[in-house]
Amino acid sequence: MSAILADAAPILQIEDLSVSFDTAAGQVKAAENVSFVLHRGETLALVGETGCGKSVVASSIMQLLPGNAHIQGRAVYAGRDLLGLDEREMSRIRGSEIAIVFQNPSLALNPIIRVGDQVAEMLRVRKGAAAVEAMQKARDMLSGLGLQGEKKMRMYPFQFSGGMNQRVMIAASMILSPRIIIADEPSKGLDGALAKEVMAEMARIKNQSGASLLLITHDLNLARDISDRMAVMYCGEIVEIGRSEEIFNKPLHPYTAALLDCLPERGFQPIPGSSPSMINPPSGCKFLPRCPKGSERCNRMPGMATVEGMSTAFGSSESIGREVRCWLY
Amino acid sequence: MLAILKAEDVSLVYESGLIFKKRHEALKGISLQLQPGKTVGLMGPSGSGKTTLGKILAGIERPTSGRIFFAGRELGTMNKSETTAFRKAVQMVFQDPEGSLNPKKSIEQSIAEVLAMLKIPSGRWKDVTGRMLEKVGLSEELLCRYPGQISGGQCQRVALGRVLLLQPQVIILDEPTSALDISVQAQILNLLKELQRDLGLAYLLISHQSNVIRFMAQETIVLEGGMISEQSSTYSHSSPGNKPQNIA
Repeated sequence: MSAILADAAPILQIEDLSVSFDTAAGQVKAAENVSFVLHRGETLALVGETGCGKSVVASSIMQLLPGNAHIQGRAVYAGRDLLGLDEREMSRIRGSEIAIVFQNPSLALNPIIRVGDQVAEMLRVRKGAAAVEAMQKARDMLSGLGLQGEKKMRMYPFQFSGGMNQRVMIAASMILSPRIIIADEPSKGLDGALAKEVMAEMARIKNQSGASLLLITHDLNLARDISDRMAVMYCGEIVEIGRSEEIFNKPLHPYTAALLDCLPERGFQPIPGSSPSMINPPSGCKFLPRCPKGSERCNRMPGMATVEGMSTAFGSSESIGREVRCWLY
Repeated sequence: MLAILKAEDVSLVYESGLIFKKRHEALKGISLQLQPGKTVGLMGPSGSGKTTLGKILAGIERPTSGRIFFAGRELGTMNKSETTAFRKAVQMVFQDPEGSLNPKKSIEQSIAEVLAMLKIPSGRWKDVTGRMLEKVGLSEELLCRYPGQISGGQCQRVALGRVLLLQPQVIILDEPTSALDISVQAQILNLLKELQRDLGLAYLLISHQSNVIRFMAQETIVLEGGMISEQSSTYSHSSPGNKPQNIA
């Protein structure tokens, strides 16, 4: 976990972001009224089950969604709304200021260009660095992530395992020292020990450059280990946001509590039922059909409520309370 | 209790090259027993031969040496009807739930395929399918959909349901939850336990997660480089009659 910084000014503000897709079966509401703030130097984890809309939030920030997506809301970075920028301005920001590490590295890398060249290319294209210097930096970056030696630099992505490709992706996205790194399931495909190593290296590079990290993951333990704050998503909505350690120790939303009970160390207690349809979601609280604490009032949509007495301040200059979307609070 | 499926001194050697043969020993002298209503956990690093051993026990691959016994009869010496009974009784569930189902067939078609193979009259298909879906906790709405249109957890339930139609006695579970979210993993593991309790199934559970093995298995075997490096009863869940057997 990164040290809590005195200067905890917001670097990215997501305000009421809603994303829907037109499909043959109807309109899929992938994200609804998502709001959160990412601070300078902070690691914020967006956690939730597959299909809850985590990756959609990340892709909409980077304007990487397909044409059938309807996006509403704002994503304010450095005083500008990213969602309103044109493609030329956006491509200047992508990579050099906000970088994204995708969950499927084998698809994100060019299969017929050597990995060393792919990492060095970022410096040559964006910073105009000389070829030799760029290669040297790429070599340093890759060896820091456990891919040492000239031979590895000259290999192609298809000669690497999924985990090695993931490290190449991390190197390529971090070599330009971006101010925000969005990592979409960066530990996917890596086994336990390696995942920890790669995440530790990622955290080290992030702390060195003072960047902020938006970590998207369904691995709750990873989120707890490396994030300062955590936002729990269910069915396209953020249901709880607060300090990771506090959420782990005292989850407030019934869904967060149920999700944590699924963890091996808490005895694999399953959540009854399954996630609702994103085309026709329940009109009130979306967790109501599976909630053990549901009541009549839950048929109305609850708003985000700040819970007093549970300060989850990030940095010393600002205090942010725990926020929960539940009628119980 | 008698073992339903038993491996005795099983080895598997891969050879390559025409003149200068290279030998690779994938499995060396493996012996293990699966008993009704019990789970044996199989762990080990990737490439240690876990899946290969599972395939040999399921009769999908043949060992180079050693013997496999099903209900006291040795594989390879069985007559046709005994082999058919073995094929039905020992089933395997794979890691990738979507990969286990044909993407071009609807869930209903995938299930019908098994029913036709079992020579169940088509008039009873709806009833049998309904009971199977109930057993694995799925709704009938799913039948018209294709594997790509349902979640990973639902695919894994369909794959498990298809296996259950054959009324197996042994299921080889090859990393059945490693591609799933923790919430779905918890659901599937609890479902497997329930089915084992109700139907007296024997499981060989292949997993790299020690906490999954601890939750499910009474006995744990660790493979390393194709050999059993450790064999022990798994604490807390083991019954007094289930002592560790040192076969390695």
